[in-house]
Amino acid sequence: MPVYVYSIVSRSHPQSLDGVQGVGDPPSALRTLTVDKLSAVISDAPEELRPKRRDLAAHQAVQERLMADGTVLPLQFGFIADDEDAVRTVLEERADEFAERLQALKDCVEYHLKAGQDEEAMLRQILLESDQARRMNEEIKAGRGGPDMPLALGELVAKEIEARKDRLAALVTEALRGLAREESTVKPSGDDFLSVSFLVDRDQEERLRTVVQELAEKLGEDFNLRLRGPLPAYSFV
Amino acid sequence: MATGGGGTGNLYDIVELLLDRGLVIDVFARVSLVGLEILKVDARIVVASVDTYLRFAEACNRLDLESGRKAPAKLTDVVGEITEGGARGKTKGALSGVAESVADALKASAEEAEERHREPAVKRERPVRHRKD
Repeated sequence: MPVYVYSIVSRSHPQSLDGVQGVGDPPSALRTLTVDKLSAVISDAPEELRPKRRDLAAHQAVQERLMADGTVLPLQFGFIADDEDAVRTVLEERADEFAERLQALKDCVEYHLKAGQDEEAMLRQILLESDQARRMNEEIKAGRGGPDMPLALGELVAKEIEARKDRLAALVTEALRGLAREESTVKPSGDDFLSVSFLVDRDQEERLRTVVQELAEKLGEDFNLRLRGPLPAYSFV
Repeated sequence: MATGGGGTGNLYDIVELLLDRGLVIDVFARVSLVGLEILKVDARIVVASVDTYLRFAEACNRLDLESGRKAPAKLTDVVGEITEGGARGKTKGALSGVAESVADALKASAEEAEERHREPAVKRERPVRHRKD
Protein backbone atom coordinates (compact mmCIF):
# COMPACT_ATOMS: atom_id res chain seq x y z
CA MET A 1 0.00 0.00 0.00
CA PRO A 2 1.46 3.39 -1.01
CA VAL A 3 2.55 5.67 1.81
CA TYR A 4 3.04 9.42 1.95
CA VAL A 5 6.35 10.37 3.58
CA TYR A 6 6.61 13.55 5.66
CA SER A 7 9.89 13.62 7.51
CA ILE A 8 12.91 11.75 8.67
CA VAL A 9 14.06 12.05 12.27
CA SER A 10 16.52 10.19 14.41
CA ARG A 11 15.27 7.18 16.29
CA SER A 12 15.93 8.96 19.56
CA HIS A 13 13.55 11.80 18.63
CA PRO A 14 10.40 11.59 20.82
CA GLN A 15 8.28 11.34 17.66
CA SER A 16 5.22 12.71 19.37
CA LEU A 17 2.50 13.35 16.81
CA ASP A 18 -0.25 14.43 19.18
CA GLY A 19 -2.73 16.82 17.65
CA VAL A 20 -1.55 16.57 14.05
CA GLN A 21 -2.98 14.63 11.16
CA GLY A 22 -1.79 13.67 7.74
CA VAL A 23 -2.70 14.78 4.24
CA GLY A 24 -5.93 13.76 2.57
CA ASP A 25 -9.62 14.19 3.13
CA PRO A 26 -10.52 12.76 5.55
CA PRO A 27 -7.07 13.31 7.09
CA SER A 28 -4.89 10.23 7.22
CA ALA A 29 -3.44 8.89 10.47
CA LEU A 30 0.26 9.40 11.03
CA ARG A 31 2.65 6.68 12.08
CA THR A 32 6.37 6.09 12.21
CA LEU A 33 8.59 3.47 10.78
CA THR A 34 12.03 2.82 12.22
CA VAL A 35 15.11 1.23 10.73
CA ASP A 36 18.25 1.13 12.82
CA LYS A 37 18.92 4.74 13.95
CA LEU A 38 16.41 6.55 11.79
CA SER A 39 12.65 6.89 11.66
CA ALA A 40 10.36 8.08 8.89
CA VAL A 41 7.02 9.72 9.61
CA ILE A 42 4.42 8.41 7.18
CA SER A 43 0.72 7.92 6.57
CA ASP A 44 -1.32 6.00 4.05
CA ALA A 45 -1.23 7.92 0.78
CA PRO A 46 -4.52 9.51 -0.19
CA GLU A 47 -5.94 8.34 -3.50
CA GLU A 48 -5.57 11.71 -5.09
CA LEU A 49 -3.31 14.43 -3.83
CA ARG A 50 -3.21 17.99 -5.03
CA PRO A 51 -1.31 20.95 -3.66
CA LYS A 52 -4.34 22.19 -1.82
CA ARG A 53 -3.99 24.51 1.11
CA ARG A 54 -5.30 21.86 3.47
CA ASP A 55 -2.72 19.28 2.42
CA LEU A 56 0.16 21.73 2.35
CA ALA A 57 -0.85 22.86 5.81
CA ALA A 58 -0.98 19.27 7.03
CA HIS A 59 2.49 18.59 5.64
CA GLN A 60 3.80 21.71 7.34
CA ALA A 61 2.02 20.99 10.64
CA VAL A 62 3.73 17.60 10.89
CA GLN A 63 7.13 19.27 10.48
CA GLU A 64 6.33 21.89 13.11
CA ARG A 65 5.13 19.28 15.58
CA LEU A 66 8.32 17.26 15.13
CA MET A 67 10.51 20.33 15.17
CA ALA A 68 9.20 21.24 18.60
CA ASP A 69 10.95 18.15 20.02
CA GLY A 70 14.13 17.97 18.00
CA THR A 71 15.79 18.03 14.61
CA VAL A 72 13.81 17.06 11.56
CA LEU A 73 14.58 16.48 7.90
CA PRO A 74 11.44 17.68 6.13
CA LEU A 75 10.63 16.07 2.81
CA GLN A 76 9.47 18.16 -0.07
CA PHE A 77 5.70 18.11 -0.39
CA GLY A 78 4.20 15.24 -2.32
CA PHE A 79 6.49 12.22 -2.12
CA ILE A 80 4.87 8.81 -2.10
CA ALA A 81 6.60 5.46 -1.70
CA ASP A 82 5.16 2.27 -3.16
CA ASP A 83 4.97 0.69 0.25
CA GLU A 84 6.61 0.62 3.67
CA ASP A 85 9.39 -1.60 2.40
CA ALA A 86 10.41 1.06 -0.10
CA VAL A 87 10.74 3.51 2.80
CA ARG A 88 12.77 1.03 4.82
CA THR A 89 15.11 0.53 1.89
CA VAL A 90 15.73 4.27 1.58
CA LEU A 91 16.33 4.60 5.32
CA GLU A 92 18.92 1.83 5.07
CA GLU A 93 20.63 2.93 1.90
CA ARG A 94 20.90 6.61 2.74
CA ALA A 95 21.36 6.19 6.49
CA ASP A 96 24.77 7.87 6.63
CA GLU A 97 23.66 10.85 4.61
CA PHE A 98 20.51 11.39 6.70
CA ALA A 99 22.40 11.01 9.96
CA GLU A 100 24.98 13.52 8.79
CA ARG A 101 22.28 16.06 7.85
CA LEU A 102 20.47 15.58 11.14
CA GLN A 103 23.71 16.21 12.97
CA ALA A 104 24.53 19.27 10.88
CA LEU A 105 21.10 20.80 11.43
CA LYS A 106 21.02 20.16 15.16
CA ASP A 107 19.80 23.25 17.06
CA CYS A 108 19.23 25.11 13.81
CA VAL A 109 16.03 26.43 12.30
CA GLU A 110 15.14 28.12 9.06
CA TYR A 111 13.72 31.62 8.84
CA HIS A 112 12.27 32.85 5.61
CA LEU A 113 12.14 36.53 4.81
CA LYS A 114 10.23 38.17 2.02
CA ALA A 115 10.55 41.89 1.51
CA GLY A 116 8.93 44.24 -0.92
CA GLN A 117 8.40 47.89 -1.55
CA ASP A 118 5.09 49.37 -2.59
CA GLU A 119 5.33 49.88 -6.32
CA GLU A 120 3.87 53.36 -6.30
CA ALA A 121 6.37 54.45 -3.69
CA MET A 122 9.20 53.08 -5.75
CA LEU A 123 7.96 54.83 -8.89
CA ARG A 124 7.66 58.03 -6.94
CA GLN A 125 11.27 57.77 -5.82
CA ILE A 126 12.44 57.05 -9.32
CA LEU A 127 10.68 60.13 -10.68
CA LEU A 128 12.03 62.26 -7.87
CA GLU A 129 15.58 61.07 -8.34
CA SER A 130 15.90 60.61 -12.08
CA ASP A 131 15.81 63.86 -14.01
CA GLN A 132 15.45 61.98 -17.25
CA ALA A 133 12.43 59.96 -16.10
CA ARG A 134 10.79 63.02 -14.60
CA ARG A 135 11.30 65.03 -17.78
CA MET A 136 9.82 62.28 -19.94
CA ASN A 137 6.89 61.94 -17.57
CA GLU A 138 6.21 65.67 -17.79
CA GLU A 139 6.37 65.58 -21.57
CA ILE A 140 3.84 62.77 -21.75
CA LYS A 141 1.50 64.45 -19.29
CA ALA A 142 1.71 67.65 -21.30
CA GLY A 143 0.73 65.73 -24.42
CA ARG A 144 4.14 66.18 -26.02
CA GLY A 145 6.90 63.70 -26.62
CA GLY A 146 5.34 61.62 -29.33
CA PRO A 147 3.92 58.12 -29.39
CA ASP A 148 7.17 56.36 -28.47
CA MET A 149 7.77 58.30 -25.30
CA PRO A 150 5.63 56.13 -22.97
CA LEU A 151 7.48 53.02 -24.06
CA ALA A 152 10.84 54.72 -23.55
CA LEU A 153 9.81 55.96 -20.12
CA GLY A 154 8.50 52.52 -19.18
CA GLU A 155 11.72 50.87 -20.24
CA LEU A 156 13.81 53.35 -18.31
CA VAL A 157 11.62 52.88 -15.23
CA ALA A 158 11.66 49.08 -15.54
CA LYS A 159 15.47 49.09 -15.60
CA GLU A 160 15.55 51.44 -12.65
CA ILE A 161 13.14 49.18 -10.70
CA GLU A 162 15.30 46.13 -11.33
CA ALA A 163 18.41 47.97 -10.24
CA ARG A 164 16.71 49.24 -7.08
CA LYS A 165 15.35 45.82 -6.23
CA ASP A 166 18.80 44.29 -6.59
CA ARG A 167 20.27 46.98 -4.39
CA LEU A 168 17.57 46.62 -1.73
CA ALA A 169 17.94 42.85 -1.73
CA ALA A 170 21.69 43.12 -1.27
CA LEU A 171 21.39 45.66 1.54
CA VAL A 172 18.79 43.73 3.53
CA THR A 173 20.61 40.43 3.08
CA GLU A 174 23.85 42.08 4.10
CA ALA A 175 22.29 43.38 7.31
CA LEU A 176 21.24 39.86 8.34
CA ARG A 177 23.98 37.69 6.94
CA GLY A 178 26.08 37.84 10.08
CA LEU A 179 23.33 36.16 12.09
CA ALA A 180 22.96 33.13 9.87
CA ARG A 181 24.97 30.00 9.29
CA GLU A 182 23.80 29.67 5.72
CA GLU A 183 21.50 31.51 3.38
CA SER A 184 19.56 30.52 0.32
CA THR A 185 17.75 32.89 -1.98
CA VAL A 186 14.72 32.27 -4.12
CA LYS A 187 13.63 34.47 -7.00
CA PRO A 188 11.25 37.03 -5.53
CA SER A 189 7.86 37.58 -7.12
CA GLY A 190 5.46 40.48 -7.52
CA ASP A 191 6.52 43.65 -5.73
CA ASP A 192 8.97 41.71 -3.59
CA PHE A 193 12.65 42.38 -4.04
CA LEU A 194 13.82 39.65 -1.72
CA SER A 195 12.92 36.09 -0.87
CA VAL A 196 15.60 34.51 1.26
CA SER A 197 15.97 31.73 3.78
CA PHE A 198 18.47 31.78 6.60
CA LEU A 199 19.70 28.84 8.60
CA VAL A 200 19.91 30.19 12.12
CA ASP A 201 21.17 28.79 15.39
CA ARG A 202 18.42 28.60 17.98
CA ASP A 203 20.30 31.06 20.15
CA GLN A 204 20.35 33.63 17.32
CA GLU A 205 16.60 33.58 16.69
CA GLU A 206 15.78 36.43 19.01
CA ARG A 207 18.53 38.55 17.55
CA LEU A 208 17.34 37.90 14.00
CA ARG A 209 13.78 38.87 14.88
CA THR A 210 14.99 42.04 16.53
CA VAL A 211 17.16 43.08 13.61
CA VAL A 212 14.38 42.41 11.09
CA GLN A 213 12.00 44.40 13.27
CA GLU A 214 14.48 47.27 13.33
CA LEU A 215 14.87 47.09 9.59
CA ALA A 216 11.09 47.19 9.12
CA GLU A 217 10.83 50.24 11.33
CA LYS A 218 13.68 52.05 9.64
CA LEU A 219 12.53 51.29 6.13
CA GLY A 220 9.10 52.67 6.85
CA GLU A 221 5.58 52.04 5.75
CA ASP A 222 6.28 51.71 2.03
CA PHE A 223 8.11 48.51 2.80
CA ASN A 224 6.67 45.19 3.65
CA LEU A 225 8.80 42.64 5.48
CA ARG A 226 7.41 39.19 6.25
CA LEU A 227 9.57 37.01 8.44
CA ARG A 228 8.38 33.42 8.73
CA GLY A 229 9.79 31.00 11.21
CA PRO A 230 11.02 29.08 12.95
CA LEU A 231 10.61 26.60 10.13
CA PRO A 232 12.11 23.18 9.57
CA ALA A 233 15.21 23.55 7.42
CA TYR A 234 13.54 22.97 4.07
CA SER A 235 16.19 24.94 2.22
CA PHE A 236 19.16 23.34 3.94
CA VAL A 237 18.47 19.60 3.95
CA MET B 1 6.68 43.40 10.14
CA ALA B 2 4.86 40.12 10.30
CA THR B 3 6.35 37.16 12.03
CA GLY B 4 5.17 33.69 12.75
CA GLY B 5 5.61 30.08 11.84
CA GLY B 6 4.06 28.26 9.00
CA GLY B 7 0.55 28.09 10.45
CA THR B 8 -2.24 28.19 7.92
CA GLY B 9 -2.39 31.98 7.93
CA ASN B 10 1.25 32.19 6.94
CA LEU B 11 1.39 29.35 4.48
CA TYR B 12 1.28 31.58 1.45
CA ASP B 13 4.72 33.01 2.08
CA ILE B 14 6.40 29.66 2.53
CA VAL B 15 4.56 27.53 0.02
CA GLU B 16 7.47 27.55 -2.39
CA LEU B 17 9.66 26.07 0.32
CA LEU B 18 7.31 23.10 0.68
CA LEU B 19 7.06 22.65 -3.07
CA ASP B 20 10.60 23.37 -4.23
CA ARG B 21 12.80 22.77 -1.21
CA GLY B 22 12.87 20.00 1.33
CA LEU B 23 14.41 16.58 1.08
CA VAL B 24 13.91 14.89 -2.27
CA ILE B 25 13.88 11.13 -2.41
CA ASP B 26 13.94 10.35 -6.07
CA VAL B 27 13.09 6.68 -5.84
CA PHE B 28 9.71 7.76 -4.45
CA ALA B 29 7.04 9.04 -6.77
CA ARG B 30 6.24 12.72 -6.72
CA VAL B 31 2.52 13.16 -6.95
CA SER B 32 1.36 15.04 -9.97
CA LEU B 33 0.87 18.54 -8.75
CA VAL B 34 -1.64 19.85 -11.19
CA GLY B 35 -2.51 23.31 -10.01
CA LEU B 36 1.05 24.02 -8.96
CA GLU B 37 1.26 26.86 -11.47
CA ILE B 38 -1.53 28.63 -9.65
CA LEU B 39 0.70 28.98 -6.66
CA LYS B 40 3.74 30.04 -8.58
CA VAL B 41 2.49 32.21 -11.38
CA ASP B 42 3.81 35.37 -9.74
CA ALA B 43 7.38 34.26 -10.21
CA ARG B 44 6.89 34.13 -13.95
CA ILE B 45 5.85 37.67 -14.57
CA VAL B 46 8.13 38.90 -17.28
CA VAL B 47 9.42 42.35 -16.53
CA ALA B 48 10.88 43.21 -19.89
CA SER B 49 7.83 43.41 -22.08
CA VAL B 50 6.06 46.17 -23.93
CA ASP B 51 3.00 45.72 -21.77
CA THR B 52 5.00 46.13 -18.60
CA TYR B 53 6.74 49.20 -19.95
CA LEU B 54 3.47 50.84 -20.84
CA ARG B 55 1.97 49.94 -17.50
CA PHE B 56 4.89 51.56 -15.69
CA ALA B 57 4.62 54.65 -17.88
CA GLU B 58 0.92 54.99 -17.13
CA ALA B 59 1.51 54.47 -13.44
CA CYS B 60 4.11 57.25 -13.53
CA ASN B 61 1.72 59.55 -15.39
CA ARG B 62 -0.88 59.03 -12.68
CA LEU B 63 1.46 59.85 -9.82
CA ASP B 64 1.13 63.18 -8.16
CA LEU B 65 4.63 64.09 -7.15
CA GLU B 66 3.50 67.15 -5.26
CA SER B 67 1.33 65.21 -2.85
CA GLY B 68 3.61 66.04 0.05
CA ARG B 69 4.82 62.64 1.10
CA LYS B 70 7.89 62.75 3.20
CA ALA B 71 10.94 61.71 1.26
CA PRO B 72 12.07 58.33 2.53
CA ALA B 73 15.42 58.00 4.20
CA LYS B 74 18.23 56.97 1.94
CA LEU B 75 18.45 53.22 2.14
CA THR B 76 22.20 53.09 2.60
CA ASP B 77 21.84 55.25 5.71
CA VAL B 78 19.05 53.07 7.03
CA VAL B 79 20.96 49.85 6.73
CA GLY B 80 24.12 51.48 8.03
CA GLU B 81 22.29 52.54 11.17
CA ILE B 82 20.80 49.10 11.63
CA THR B 83 24.09 47.33 11.38
CA GLU B 84 25.68 49.71 13.85
CA GLY B 85 22.69 49.55 16.14
CA GLY B 86 22.78 45.80 15.86
CA ALA B 87 26.28 45.65 17.19
CA ARG B 88 25.24 47.62 20.25
CA GLY B 89 22.44 45.31 21.20
CA LYS B 90 18.71 45.43 21.52
CA THR B 91 16.72 48.56 21.04
CA LYS B 92 13.68 49.77 22.91
CA GLY B 93 10.60 47.57 23.02
CA ALA B 94 7.18 48.65 21.84
CA LEU B 95 6.28 48.63 18.21
CA SER B 96 6.16 51.98 16.54
CA GLY B 97 3.05 53.17 14.78
CA VAL B 98 4.78 52.46 11.53
CA ALA B 99 5.42 48.86 12.43
CA GLU B 100 1.81 48.43 13.46
CA SER B 101 0.55 49.76 10.20
CA VAL B 102 2.96 47.48 8.38
CA ALA B 103 1.56 44.61 10.39
CA ASP B 104 -1.98 45.65 9.50
CA ALA B 105 -1.08 45.92 5.86
CA LEU B 106 0.41 42.47 6.04
CA LYS B 107 -2.66 41.06 7.67
CA ALA B 108 -4.66 42.48 4.82
CA SER B 109 -2.28 41.05 2.29
CA ALA B 110 -2.43 37.66 3.98
CA GLU B 111 -6.20 37.75 3.68
CA GLU B 112 -5.88 38.79 0.11
CA ALA B 113 -3.47 35.97 -0.46
CA GLU B 114 -5.99 33.61 1.03
CA GLU B 115 -8.49 34.90 -1.48
CA ARG B 116 -6.09 34.77 -4.33
CA HIS B 117 -5.26 31.22 -3.43
CA ARG B 118 -8.79 30.20 -4.27
CA GLU B 119 -8.95 32.01 -7.54
CA PRO B 120 -7.91 30.66 -10.89
CA ALA B 121 -4.53 31.77 -12.16
CA VAL B 122 -5.81 34.20 -14.73
CA LYS B 123 -7.50 36.40 -12.19
CA ARG B 124 -4.37 36.76 -10.17
CA GLU B 125 -2.55 39.02 -12.56
CA ARG B 126 -2.68 42.53 -11.36
CA PRO B 127 -5.01 44.80 -13.30
CA VAL B 128 -2.77 45.86 -16.10
CA ARG B 129 -3.77 49.00 -17.85
CA HIS B 130 -6.93 50.70 -18.75
CA ARG B 131 -7.27 51.63 -22.35
CA LYS B 132 -9.25 54.72 -22.94
CA ASP B 133 -10.25 53.96 -26.50
